[in-house]
Amino acid sequence: MYAFRWYDPNLPRRACRVGFLVLVLLLVIEHATAIPTYENNNNAFADTIPTAKTLSGPKWNSVPRVKRDTSQGSSSETTSTTPQSTASPSSEAEVKHFEFASIEFHRVETPFIIGLWIFCASLAKIGFHMAPKLSEIFPESCLLIVVGVVIGVILVHVTDSVHMSPLTPDTFFFYMLPPIILDAGYFMPNRLFFDHLGTILLFAVVGTIFNTLTIGASLWAVTTTGLFGEEEKFIPALDMFLFAALISAVDPVAVLAVFEEIHVNEILYIVVFGESLLNDAVTVVLYHMFESYSEMGSDKIVYMDVVAGCGNFFVVAIGGTVIGVIWGFATGFVTRFTHEVRVIEPIFIFVMAYLAYLCAEIFHMSGILAITFCGITMKNYVEANISHKSHTTIKYTMKMLSSSSETIIFMFLGVATVNKLHTWNTWFVVLTIIFCSAYRAIGVIVLTAIANRFRLHQLSKVEKFVMSYGGLRGAVAFALVRLINPKVVKYQSMFMTTTIAVVYFTVFFQGITIKPLVKILNVKTAEKRKPTMNERIHEKLMDHLMAGVEDILGHHGNYHVRDRFKRFDNKYIRPYLLRNYQGAEPKILETYSKLAMRDAMEFMRRNASTIGNISGTESMSGIFKNYTAGNLDGRCEEKLLTCTSFSQLDSSNWNIDMQELEYNPSKKDLTDAKIHHLLAEELCQSKRHRRLSYSRHAVNDRDLSTQVNYKMHYNMRRLVGDSKRHHHKRHSKKLQKEGKQNHVSFPEFQQNGSAKQFSHDYINQVLSEEENAEPKPPKEEWDSPITFTAKSSPSDEAPISTGTDGSGSSHIDLYKRSKSNKSTPAQGYLPWRPTDRSQYDGTSLCFLAFK
Amino acid sequence: MGNRSSLMLREEEIAQIQQETGFTPNQIERLYSRFTSLDRGDCGTLSRDDFLRIPELAINPLGERIVNSFFQDDMYNDRVNFRQFMNVLAHFRPVKKNKDNRLNSREAKLKFAFKMYDLDNDDLISRDELLAILHMMVGANISEEQLTSIAERTILEADEDGDQMISFEEFCKALQRTDVEQKMSIRFLN
Repeated sequence: MYAFRWYDPNLPRRACRVGFLVLVLLLVIEHATAIPTYENNNNAFADTIPTAKTLSGPKWNSVPRVKRDTSQGSSSETTSTTPQSTASPSSEAEVKHFEFASIEFHRVETPFIIGLWIFCASLAKIGFHMAPKLSEIFPESCLLIVVGVVIGVILVHVTDSVHMSPLTPDTFFFYMLPPIILDAGYFMPNRLFFDHLGTILLFAVVGTIFNTLTIGASLWAVTTTGLFGEEEKFIPALDMFLFAALISAVDPVAVLAVFEEIHVNEILYIVVFGESLLNDAVTVVLYHMFESYSEMGSDKIVYMDVVAGCGNFFVVAIGGTVIGVIWGFATGFVTRFTHEVRVIEPIFIFVMAYLAYLCAEIFHMSGILAITFCGITMKNYVEANISHKSHTTIKYTMKMLSSSSETIIFMFLGVATVNKLHTWNTWFVVLTIIFCSAYRAIGVIVLTAIANRFRLHQLSKVEKFVMSYGGLRGAVAFALVRLINPKVVKYQSMFMTTTIAVVYFTVFFQGITIKPLVKILNVKTAEKRKPTMNERIHEKLMDHLMAGVEDILGHHGNYHVRDRFKRFDNKYIRPYLLRNYQGAEPKILETYSKLAMRDAMEFMRRNASTIGNISGTESMSGIFKNYTAGNLDGRCEEKLLTCTSFSQLDSSNWNIDMQELEYNPSKKDLTDAKIHHLLAEELCQSKRHRRLSYSRHAVNDRDLSTQVNYKMHYNMRRLVGDSKRHHHKRHSKKLQKEGKQNHVSFPEFQQNGSAKQFSHDYINQVLSEEENAEPKPPKEEWDSPITFTAKSSPSDEAPISTGTDGSGSSHIDLYKRSKSNKSTPAQGYLPWRPTDRSQYDGTSLCFLAFK
Repeated sequence: MGNRSSLMLREEEIAQIQQETGFTPNQIERLYSRFTSLDRGDCGTLSRDDFLRIPELAINPLGERIVNSFFQDDMYNDRVNFRQFMNVLAHFRPVKKNKDNRLNSREAKLKFAFKMYDLDNDDLISRDELLAILHMMVGANISEEQLTSIAERTILEADEDGDQMISFEEFCKALQRTDVEQKMSIRFLN
């Protein structure tokens, strides 16, 4: 007999709560069947397993209802709404049978709750974006906190107390904060950041210390007057300073959340945001310092402790930075060797940055600094090493992780508000808020006055205002206040309540009002744009010019330092960290390739529907492209559009492919090619075999057939960034080798001159590739005679002309042709063999499939 | 040294330079001391070699062009006196509102940058001129073809009248959105 029973008869309270949430969800989903109580619900549950129910039915009823586990004493007062923890001792005593179905919740409890949190938070986020009016007025962070509070209230009413099981300060610091900071560091505008580093450091270090000391001192001074209550008169000064240390730090998460929405100009943004990142070191030190002081007791502090505290600051700040930079370089170095296993590239970026964070935490250094600088450092080198696909993956994964962490943090903040440990002290709360705002403003005014003496761009009054107004407090302060040991600091609960109040005030009041204020004050807002080629080049020129002028003046300013670093970087770092070291100005090339791509896209978009007018000089690939564009609705054409994107644009010979400009094979080349082909025919074919259909190390392009897009990106990247072009011979050897491999990163793709204006070659190439995808032995291809002439046979043109008619049948012609085993003239004179085209086939096949 | 140089600089000279360039007397004296320290021959003028003796400038990819720009006013003279020196540097003064910004206006700054390209002084940047600059900046690792196509792309982008050259107006237009006032300014010490 099979027994159906609740495997774990006594779910802990938390589990019950989650169970409740699940049931609420179930209710929502199947609200057709109204389930008033959980007892019914339980039956409903059982209903889903009819056999079990019928079999165990009698036993269910015979079971005495309330039998709770006493080992979990705290959970004994679960409310009646919890899914029954009912099990009979008799059933326990029975002989164990193999169960038909069983439920075991506690095993999955923690990950399940975490998953549920993320799910709920993301759902909430979707909800906000569905209500545009709501999200216009309120920043997302506010709404998430509200949702958190609502959930918290529900949970309190349902389960009597909120126990934030998986969301402890440790979870916050170890799992939720790093993605946000890494995202910030990795996508940090380096140039801007380092240009304003002086100001940022001034605010982060001096500003934070100033705030801590003044807030702490003021609050303590008020304490002694007895305004907060007679008992509170004796709050030790050190506790006050501990509180001030955590409340005075501007929070990166809150700042990011708000500033991303208001789009102020980049200088303002970088100064406030940079401050919030870099003040972590100060906060960590001050916090730990005052914490251990108050553990020691104020009478035992000796002079040395204070000195050690100051020294510790440098250890924490510099140590964190150094750890981050070292890991950043290490990441660059590792990615230098990943070109064979592209799929694991992103993991290095994430894991190594995370390790940097944890490394710093091991030594009690600033993890935030470490991961920020790790991101800043690795970016330059990693970007040049990894593939375009990995780049996209990293970008999206990072954004996804950071935005979901942010969501959870704010929601967590909301939920954690609702508990019974609060000690509300009105005066204390009000005065803390006032002091925080006032000293922030004073600090900003004093420090900008100092900074402006050394700055080229003078911070104006409006900017000062936004800077002081943007000093938001957030989850870091809250996590820190929860870390305070209530046994050491008696007023921890009051501090916690006040922290929450301050966070709410800054996030709600300042967060909501900052947007209209920015508009009213007419703060210069940022414009997002990609640099044009002219801007890039001329700006580079100006950089060099300014560095030169600074040298003439003997003035060691920003440009001078930058110039020095760049020279050092180019000479000693880049050559060791980059796989394809590309010379001094990678940015110019990068911009160029991006623009070339954009132009190509633009051209395609504009001409998507036109079926090209074929003139005598029009390249075959152009025709082919038009054909695809016309027929495939712009899905497939990117693959080909490199061919002619400019050929019709303005000058007929304009070629965006820098690699293929005038490949004019010399006589020697042709002879080489001839010999090579002969050799290749004799030597390499027998070793060829079909690629495996599944590879763990490479993403099969066939799987991506709906997004042929990337192919062009890849191609572009290669075209622009590859210097191998001159080594045709090396390539041809490599090609043979790659014929044996299962995954090829189509090195031949650029070489067959997709962008060159072949006459009739390109299409033939594609055709012959299709044939490789056929299951028939590849030998056939090689058996066909190879012509070593550059002229094309007239018959080649026939199917193409059908294609350009845009007739639906054309692909059949193409396909037929592909079976005719014709080696093309192009293959004849190109010095490499079309050995393994299988990657390429994927596209041509899917191209056919689209039809 | 500061004392000696200020002695050598007469009051009316300072006033004149101040009038011309807008530098404060303090800045002028400071720059004069730099000028004399560069002036190895103690002859009151600087030669190209004097400039190129600055180690960082010597390895600056555009070092020679920068030095050249000091000698532009007067092609035949291969020495720069202090006034010319100051006139060139005045281009890099930050733009101040409500003040006379003759040498350091946005346009003057742009013109200065433009002159860096324009070797033959025809007020047009040709493809070859642009290519020469790219060569200097990008270095040897990149092939000629790539550079050529970059240069062509750049000209194509800025060129409005279709002459395959960038005129000064086109140059200004291309840099319309760039904060040239910021980028081409130096905070001169007082």
